[in-house]
This record gives sequence, structure tokens and C-alpha cells, in this order.
Amino acid sequence: MTDAAKGERRWRNLLGMVKRPKPVVGATPADVVHRENKWSLLRYRARPEGVAFATPVLLVPSLINRHYVLDLQPGRSIAEALVARGHDVFIVDWGTPGPEDRHLSFDAITDGYLGRAIRVAAQHGGRGKTHVLGYCLGGTLAVVHAAVRPEHIASLTVLAAPVSFHDEGLLSLWTRSSTFDLGAMIDATGNVPWQLMQGAFQMLRPTLPLSKAAHVIDRAWDDEFLDGFFALEAWGNDNVSFPGEAYRRYIEGLYRADGLMKETFTLSGRPVLLRNIECPTLAVTFAHDNIVPEESAAPLIERISSTDKQRVHLPGGHVGAVISRKALATLWPTISAWWAAHDAEPQAKVEPKVEPEAKVEPKVEPKAKAKAKAKPERANAKAR
Amino acid sequence: MIGWDSWKKGFDVWENATAKYLEAWMRSPLVLGPGGALLTAAMRSKTAVDGAMDSWWSAVGLPTRRDQERALHALNQMQSRLIDLEETLAEIRAQQKQQAATKA
Repeated sequence: MTDAAKGERRWRNLLGMVKRPKPVVGATPADVVHRENKWSLLRYRARPEGVAFATPVLLVPSLINRHYVLDLQPGRSIAEALVARGHDVFIVDWGTPGPEDRHLSFDAITDGYLGRAIRVAAQHGGRGKTHVLGYCLGGTLAVVHAAVRPEHIASLTVLAAPVSFHDEGLLSLWTRSSTFDLGAMIDATGNVPWQLMQGAFQMLRPTLPLSKAAHVIDRAWDDEFLDGFFALEAWGNDNVSFPGEAYRRYIEGLYRADGLMKETFTLSGRPVLLRNIECPTLAVTFAHDNIVPEESAAPLIERISSTDKQRVHLPGGHVGAVISRKALATLWPTISAWWAAHDAEPQAKVEPKVEPEAKVEPKVEPKAKAKAKAKPERANAKAR
Repeated sequence: MIGWDSWKKGFDVWENATAKYLEAWMRSPLVLGPGGALLTAAMRSKTAVDGAMDSWWSAVGLPTRRDQERALHALNQMQSRLIDLEETLAEIRAQQKQQAATKA
């Protein structure tokens, strides 16, 4: 495209930005196979030629972000790409905590809910086990669970998952600040409001909104870039609050006490010792991740007892390096190949004991309703 | 285009330098300390106001918002315990089937 054409397209797109249709996110067809309290377990529908591996894959996103970051847009969806490669893919949708979930404990989420998700996914495969992939806080939850209850975990993959919390990053310093009274905050708010957490994340790079605006103007001629940008912004502004009691334990036990490194953390009364993790483990860290710095995620591989373990360090940031087109072409095929190498010979296929509770069809919300809600159109969530 | 490209390059340099400066500033105890104190004070005020409202509400014999939250949470816990029991029963049934098949 010539510079003149780019310039013209840029202005046309910038002027038409208000009328630009909302991005459709989370559109890969999936069924709800388990539902409990606010969370549900989704299973993506297999490709027409069927599943190629005996071991299913369970994706565990962060508690405070929507799951559809791993299923952002058609053609730019990790779930879609994994299904196309023949994996049987499950994902945890943590849902939106209600005011009563202020009492929900870290143990209930990490042992109870995540344990159930792992067992349900595992019983669909031929091995009674599942590969578990945790992203960000989802990775920390998966690590904690795997250290205590490894029975149904075939392998562990973690992307930018913090395990060491005493770094010099802003979040670590802030939570350890003597004037920050965690109890007062949880008593007042119940669930920790997502706005508060989003504010803290924005403090990590205070100039980010300006930088984003300049970047959008710069690339406004590129429709594909704009589609991706708005889908990502829709996700980035669609966060959920953190259940209060779980947050208290997370901050006190992990951020303040650095419980995983110092071996003081417990799950349902059992000590969480990283050296108890013996399953094949792949940890991915990112060089420009200012939310989970490398020094926070890297120690996992050093601490675990697995003989089959690997750390991959990649350029890029916390989100971009996971969902970019480059990641779809390089990172995810690598992870898929790693799972394939750790797949077992299919045994007698166990028929799913849990019937789908609901079928989830890709569907775009009616325009009027979408406007009233002023939310991104999430095909799966709306269909549910 | 050339003007925009030059501006963008200049902006990137400024943004990078400013972000580094602000990030260092945000990590300073001079910012974190008062920030934490301000947040804590606001939260304690909210708790005090909520507590006063709850006292008034419960004084007339009505369940407070906290009472309702506790009741709903107990229901959610019961749901999870029931699902636990279902899982245990399914496991026992599967074992029984396996034992019967082995005997046969």
C-alpha cells in the first residue's frame, strides 16, 4: 500500500471508529460440561476429523480476567488453533463473583473448583489425566494444585505464572507497603473491585494510554490491526473482581510471605512444596513482562523435582506475546508439539460421564441489547 | 507522512523516558506510603458507614446485607458438597462395576 493510500485509509478509519462494529470475541463453538457456583467448564467442539490425542488439555486463565483472552477472535484464537491441531480443549470460565463470594476461600477455588475442573477434563480422555495450562494467576493456581494433588495431571504448562513474589516490581512493593491495610480493604469492599486492580496495573506503565492512542493513530490504516486492537481492549476492560477471602490469602500467603519460595503456603491444610511437582513441566516467561517479571516466574523450574522440565524465555509482554499472530505461529505450535510428545497411547476411551449442560453456539448479540449493555459481544457467554 | 513519522519517533522516545521516570517514582516509598495510607483511611471510613447502617437495619430485626451474603455463601458451599458426594458415588459405582466384571 502506498503512503498516500495509507494516509487516506487511516483518516477514514479514525473518523469511522465510533461506528465500527463491536468485536465478536470468544466465538469458538463450545459446550458447558460443568457448572458450579459462578464458574463453569467449557469444552470446545472437536474438529470434524475428531480428536487426535488421548490426553485432553485444560486451560486455566487468571481469576481476574475473562477466559476469552485465549479465544479472542476467529483466526486469532488459541483455543481454535489447538482444536484445529486435534486437541480436546477445555477451559475454565471463572464467571463473575457475586457479593456473597467475598467469603470464597483460596482453598475452595484452587483445591475445590480447579480440582473439579481437572477431574472432569481428565475423565473425558483415555488416561484419566489431563494436560493443564495455566496463564498468569491461573498458572499459579495450577502450580499450587499440582504440588498437592498431582493425581490427574499429565503435564503442567505455565505461561507468565508468578511463584516468587518478593521482587522489586511495583505490585510486590505495594502489597508489602506498611501503610496498605489489606484487612481494611476487604472488610470495606468484600470482593476486591476490578477497577482498583486495573488502576494498579495501569500504574505499572502510567504512559500506556497515551502510547496506545499514538500507536492506534499510527496503525489506523490497517483494518486487521484495528480489529485485534479493539478485541483486546474489549477484553482488557471486561475484568472481574477478586473474591475477598481468596484475595486476603493470596496477598498474605504469597505476596507478603512469599509462601511458595519459603515453603510456608498450604492448600486445604496440606503444605504446598514445589519440589513435590514431578510431572513434565514447561514454563514460559517473557522478557518484557512488567506484570509478572521474569524473576517472579522463572524459579518454578529450578524448584520442582520433575526430570522432564523446560523453560522457554521469549521476547514480548504479558499479553501480546501470548495472543499475537506470531505467538499463534510459533509459541502455540511448540506447546502443542510438547503436549503431543507427552501424550499416551489411547486406551479404552472413557465415555464422558458428564453430559453437556448447555450447547454454546456462536451468536452475535442483537444490536439494541448490545448497546444497552455497553459490553463486548462475547458469543459464548451471551449464548449461555 | 514524513511529519507524522518524525513526530511518532519523537513521541516514542519521550514516552519511553517518561515511563521509566514515572515507574521509578511510583515505586518510591514517598508515593507508596501515603498512597496506602489514603486508601486505608477511605476503606476504614466505608466500613464504619456500612457498620452503622447495618446496626440500624438489624436493630429493627431485618437481615443485613452481610447476613444475606453469608446465607448465599452457605448455599453455594452446600452445592459444592453435593457435587462432591455425586463424584464419590460415581467412583464407588465404577469400582463396583469393575469388581463385578472381574468376578464374572
